[in-house]
Amino acid sequence: MGYGMIIDQQLCVGCAACTIACKAENNTPVGFNWCDKITSTKGTFPDVRFEYISTMCNHCENAPCVAACPTQAMYKDADTGLTLHNPNKCIGCKACVINCPYGVIKFNWDKPHANWREGDRVAEGCFSPKELVEEVGGDGTPHSNPERDATYPSMRARGTVEKCTFCDHRLAQGLEPACVEACPSGARQFGDIDDPDSDVSKLMVKHGGRGLREELGTKPRVLYIREYGPQRRS
Amino acid sequence: MNIPSLDINTNVGLSDFLTLRWALIVVGLIIGGSVGLYEMFVGHILATSNVVVWTTPLITYWFLALSSTGISILLAYGMLAGNQKVTDHTRYLLVLDLALLIGGFIALATELGSIINMINIALSPNPMSPIWWMGNFYSAKLVLVAIKLVRELMGVHGSVDKPIAWATLLISAAAAMTIGAAVGTAIGRPDFQGVFSSLLMLGVAMAAGLAWIVVLKRNSELAEHINGISRQLAGLVALFLLLNLIYDARATSEGLIGWVNPLMPLLFAATAIAGGAAPRISAALTLVGSFWVLFSFVISGQLWVFGANTSFYGEVQRHPTRVIVIL
Repeated sequence: MGYGMIIDQQLCVGCAACTIACKAENNTPVGFNWCDKITSTKGTFPDVRFEYISTMCNHCENAPCVAACPTQAMYKDADTGLTLHNPNKCIGCKACVINCPYGVIKFNWDKPHANWREGDRVAEGCFSPKELVEEVGGDGTPHSNPERDATYPSMRARGTVEKCTFCDHRLAQGLEPACVEACPSGARQFGDIDDPDSDVSKLMVKHGGRGLREELGTKPRVLYIREYGPQRRS
Repeated sequence: MNIPSLDINTNVGLSDFLTLRWALIVVGLIIGGSVGLYEMFVGHILATSNVVVWTTPLITYWFLALSSTGISILLAYGMLAGNQKVTDHTRYLLVLDLALLIGGFIALATELGSIINMINIALSPNPMSPIWWMGNFYSAKLVLVAIKLVRELMGVHGSVDKPIAWATLLISAAAAMTIGAAVGTAIGRPDFQGVFSSLLMLGVAMAAGLAWIVVLKRNSELAEHINGISRQLAGLVALFLLLNLIYDARATSEGLIGWVNPLMPLLFAATAIAGGAAPRISAALTLVGSFWVLFSFVISGQLWVFGANTSFYGEVQRHPTRVIVIL
């Protein structure tokens, strides 16, 4: 079994709901997006083309980050095919960041969510960020998701890396990743990419999927089908 | 029990430390130590980003570790070849070797995010990782050099000297080459790819290691003896850099930024030529050049931005460092 994701470029409208859903689900710090996007503008006016490619950890079959990690903190899960990270083993050498050809692994230079530890109040009578966290509860931030803790700490440690886990805590409950559930146009399909009868495999067969930077031999498990283009309705 | 003498000079007063050299050492220890401790345990002040993650501390580690490698190889060669001009200075070379390596490990500790988790190098090893091999080779080298120093201080010599020298020679060479492999095996980063990085590291290790001796062991027979080899090694590094420069200039690979500044081979060639007339200055310039080569190499491979980071950083970026970090 190997989980994978198909992103239909024709259906993706670039709303970034996936990015926001991921952020809320996984409690990522300011500046870190496990689910992110590549945007590029090509051509010259009036023939201009805007491209929006949603990206995240590709959970590569031949993951360069796993090969580079000296302590097996970055590893392949044998049951699910996911590329996961064990922060308790991470020495913060950043070899995974250097080796990832997709730029999706982030390093916590400081303890995350520093802004929520500030004690200054904007005005008398207000909560300071720190007081708000103490009042509301939450792991480092009032928005933290306690369910995230089931498989990975929602409040990551300073000096370790972090990245997308395909929401492994949700998968364990039979749910889809938060980004898939949040997508309003159904552009994301998730499933067992090794099973030829799964919906994702059928989509692959129908449209022919492609991964990012496949020429490197990483065998990414996030694949893209179709191109975005205006459809004429008759 | 007969405790051997360690030849410690007790005839030293406070006034002996009131010199410019010691003042610089103290300033360096205070500033560097403060920055290092702050970086390790409190917060983050290094000039880094989500894209350029390996910076001055790691480069300093490489520089010091490679320098110590060069000294180890020289000493092992002296022992195995029976070169008395080298072996007469065994104790001095072992102390220098050990000091540089320990300094390198301290710099590395500043770079690593979670040094407490280092135990997992032993508990959860990944033999696929060049960094794992590099760490183990340098740890083994540290142990071997420490054993040699203890034996030397205690005046114990015997049949195991040669096997230890062989082990040090092989492990040191392997350690330097796996430093190169740590980046040479990274895929998708054109400036890092290839076996050349391992050869470059070995060349820099030898050139820098010998240059340290010429700089520090002035007016000695040892410095005179190895100055010729040091110059040849600087010439070799100059040739290697020149070949890289020509290759980069001709290359059409997408993303190849080119890390060799045209002044680098010139600097090493100049030190090779001028080493006869001004050995210490040339050797000092070899050290500066070695650090420059490592800095440029490590940084340039990270300047090509991948994936979603391009939205924020652009496709290629530059990386200035800070004086306080170098200190």
